[in-house]
Amino acid sequence: MVIIYLLFLVSVDWINQSSVHWYRPFGIGFLIIVIAAWTHRERDTDEL
Amino acid sequence: MSFELTTLFGLGSVYLIALFGIAFITEKGWIPKKIVRHPAIYILSLGVFASVWAYYTSVGNAMRDGYGYLAHSIGISLAFLFSPLLLHPLLSLTRTYQLSSLSDLLAFRYRSPWAGTITTIVTLVGVIPLLALQIRAVSDTVGILAPDASQHALAISFCTMITLFAIFFGANHPGKSRHDGLVMAIAFESVVKLLALLSVGIFAIYAGFGSLGGMNEWLAGRPDLLEGLQNTAYLSSFHVTALLFFTAAVAMPHMFYMTFNEINSPRTLTLASWGLPLYFLLLSLPILPILWAGLKTGSTVQVEYYPVVIGMEYESEFFTLFAYLGGLSAASGLIIVITLALSNMCLNHLILPIYQPSANQDIYKWLQWSSRILITALIWAGFLFYLIPEDRSTMQLIGTLAFTSCLQFLPGIMAILYWPKGNKKGFFAGLSIGVFIWFFFLMLPIALDTDPTYLSNLNWKQIASFSLIANTILFFSVSLLTTTTDEERSSADLCALDSIKRRKRTGLVAKSSTEFIRSLGKPLGIRTATREVNRALADLGFNEKERRPYAMRSLRGRLEANLSGLMGPSIARELIDSYLPYRQVSEHGSTDLNMVENRIESYPSNLSGMAADLDKLRRYHRQILLDLPLGVCSLGMDSEITTWNGALEKLTGLSNAEAIGSQLIELPEPWGSLLNNFFLDDTNNSYKQTFELGNQRKTVNLHKSLIDRPGDQSGRHEGVVILLEDISETALLEAGLTHSERLASIGRLAAGVAHEIGNPITGIACLAQTIRDEFQDTELKGMAQQIIEQTDRTSKILQSLVSFAHAGSNKNSANNEVISIADCIEEAKTLILLDNKNKDLVLEVQCSTDLHILGDSQLLIQVLINLINNARDASQATGKIQISAEERGNKVRVSVSDEGIGIPVAIRDRVFDPFFTTKEAGEGTGLGLSLVFSIVEDFGGDIDIISPVNKVRDSGTQVILRFPCYHSKPDQIAKAGATGQ
Repeated sequence: MVIIYLLFLVSVDWINQSSVHWYRPFGIGFLIIVIAAWTHRERDTDEL
Repeated sequence: MSFELTTLFGLGSVYLIALFGIAFITEKGWIPKKIVRHPAIYILSLGVFASVWAYYTSVGNAMRDGYGYLAHSIGISLAFLFSPLLLHPLLSLTRTYQLSSLSDLLAFRYRSPWAGTITTIVTLVGVIPLLALQIRAVSDTVGILAPDASQHALAISFCTMITLFAIFFGANHPGKSRHDGLVMAIAFESVVKLLALLSVGIFAIYAGFGSLGGMNEWLAGRPDLLEGLQNTAYLSSFHVTALLFFTAAVAMPHMFYMTFNEINSPRTLTLASWGLPLYFLLLSLPILPILWAGLKTGSTVQVEYYPVVIGMEYESEFFTLFAYLGGLSAASGLIIVITLALSNMCLNHLILPIYQPSANQDIYKWLQWSSRILITALIWAGFLFYLIPEDRSTMQLIGTLAFTSCLQFLPGIMAILYWPKGNKKGFFAGLSIGVFIWFFFLMLPIALDTDPTYLSNLNWKQIASFSLIANTILFFSVSLLTTTTDEERSSADLCALDSIKRRKRTGLVAKSSTEFIRSLGKPLGIRTATREVNRALADLGFNEKERRPYAMRSLRGRLEANLSGLMGPSIARELIDSYLPYRQVSEHGSTDLNMVENRIESYPSNLSGMAADLDKLRRYHRQILLDLPLGVCSLGMDSEITTWNGALEKLTGLSNAEAIGSQLIELPEPWGSLLNNFFLDDTNNSYKQTFELGNQRKTVNLHKSLIDRPGDQSGRHEGVVILLEDISETALLEAGLTHSERLASIGRLAAGVAHEIGNPITGIACLAQTIRDEFQDTELKGMAQQIIEQTDRTSKILQSLVSFAHAGSNKNSANNEVISIADCIEEAKTLILLDNKNKDLVLEVQCSTDLHILGDSQLLIQVLINLINNARDASQATGKIQISAEERGNKVRVSVSDEGIGIPVAIRDRVFDPFFTTKEAGEGTGLGLSLVFSIVEDFGGDIDIISPVNKVRDSGTQVILRFPCYHSKPDQIAKAGATGQ
């Protein structure tokens, strides 16, 4: 969860940097989702 | 390019009829369950959150805020990406307590029906503009596509269709946990709007720019647009917007409804935690190309409607109509779900607290129709708001107005999980100030101000931030400065993440499911009460005969949860508290450890870290208790059983599940009175309690001790632990030993008496011989001879008594002599016949005189006496007993047979057990056959029992002894006799 949050902050900063690649935020977003899916893959929702 | 209204109306109608069709065939079960219940369907149904805000307003937001338009998707995505911190715990709460809306949740947490009512009112006021926004988007697109058409007419038609759909597929079964038809239809809508937006985006790239590269080249010539993308003042607006939508994921009624009410399992939510962000990512992707293609065309239409305009500008009817359908699906999905969720909230928190149907009415029907009326009213309230002149506010502002209202619930929601000290006073204070700011600085200006310039310049982000900060500060301050009631504290404990249920154990007035039905029948009617009680029993897996206090408490909890789903938590709690009250007790009940134990056990054992270690330790200690070879039973102070270990299960035949949760006195006899009397007794130890169990006599020692409350100095106790020690075998052994000792004493006495009598008898015999030999009187000689014969007989008796008394007293000193079987049988027979009660006994002996074995004659005599006595006891008074001995091979076979009742099959294996007897108390020691077995074994022989001997009459027993034969050569006998010692 910490990794996801840090990536979110980094991605927001990166979005604000000037860049010619308008689609970069979507790439970052996709990467975050992949990591989130990997993080959640073995999580047992009933864990105390 | 323009379209006829009939075309748009027809297309919209076909689409909505298709929705009806999908919902209908799903409800009918024509679509396989594995598809309907697939996690992907649930994730897509969550796409309802992508309303016209995501579909149309995002384009306008992208124009104004650059990447700031993504804040909407990021906010909702964060809520799902961090679902273990917020959504999963809330899901657990809503499922456990059947909380179907945010109002239910807040009313439950803050133990106040007013919390539910105020939440409903604020949500209602905030959400109506959002409904109006959806209607307006549909109406506006019609205005763009068919400029000559009446927008209002189409808006009315649209609202009518949506009302019908929501009534038929959303409010058809009150209390029903899932609406598969509705979920399927909403998932279909999510697919339609995603495909529409993606296809329009792709079309925009290729129709507007020729290719992706063409678009990049065009962008290179418009650096202002690229710079505009980074124009996001994200600290002020981006984060506020993201927070707004993060909160909306829980606080908006439609999201709460879809996330928590229509979910299959917590695992599905885990998949949605990345599935929904992916959906929103895909939905956000085409927004920029659509915006740029729209700008390139120089269209004068409102930027928000570019998804529809693109097709028109580039002369594609298909993409125009497809985009229109996408917008229609975005609007209709939200209206259907939001009105359904809001109708439940209004019913539970506005209508039912004021008016409740009487017991004579059909409650289910009443709830269904009330819900339908409310849905209709809500949709048309949205329509009325839509009629406010459109130049008064922009789409963005109306949406913001709605989403900002739900932001006021954020402190209250976070406190549910993370701040147990928050109380209802703090919640009301915080909510009041937040809503006040929102209402006077956002809602009123939009509703009343006629100056659109003022509204455009309104800094809603600052107002939203200020209202949230004021709300939070007041919530914390008031909560800390005011007292929290016990009820609130208890609810906070139930909701807090770091605690598990600590329900107090107290008995109920109603003691059976029948009494439950009788009590609940008063407010609900017998038919509804029976249905609800049976449903709760089925949920818990109990049968209707269940009476255990623990089961009754569980039933009460389940009923409250089920009724909460039907009527809201406030009404449900009021009903349950009024009609199924707890007994008044002078002392607080102990913690309901069974509940705690069950809850911990229901979690898969995959805990990690410290939790896993603690769980292992707990399980280890519990296992020690369960496997202890002593019966252990722990009780609350109200004598309710909380622990029942394996040894007690074995001893009593009562399983753990049957015993736990029962009162001691309710246990079957003899355990109920035995344990309850000891529990009530002042003594802590009770020794040698005897009672009959089946056909056995049981003896137990009982010990008890009070269980202290950890850390409680008040001297109150948590309960009592009782230890039950089964000493039946030891008691029998002790009784046997005592009896043996008594017999041995009698034997020694008999030997002493015999010895003492022997001398005078010898003297009498000598004198009688002298008289016989010295006197010539014939009569005197005869009398002397008789005296001699009688003294001989007396001597023999005395000798037998001495021999019997000495037999077996010391095995090591037993003789190893050559003994004659015939002599032993004869001597045993003599001894047996001395007993008066054997005077009618018929003893038939068949034995040759040349049978010899090695051993101790007295022991063999004892064996024979025991066997003959047993045969006599099993026979009639005049019964016949046959004793035979013969040589077979190199064995001597001795048999004792009777014609008695035989040995029952059930005890045949136990006849050689020490102290096992079927005789009346005091008549047998149970040592006879075991002694026989032991002696025969010492002789190197073996023993068999045949019973019944007479298979036809099922009677008679034959005991067969086999000993190694001693060859009966005179020299060997003499030799053995010489060295026999």
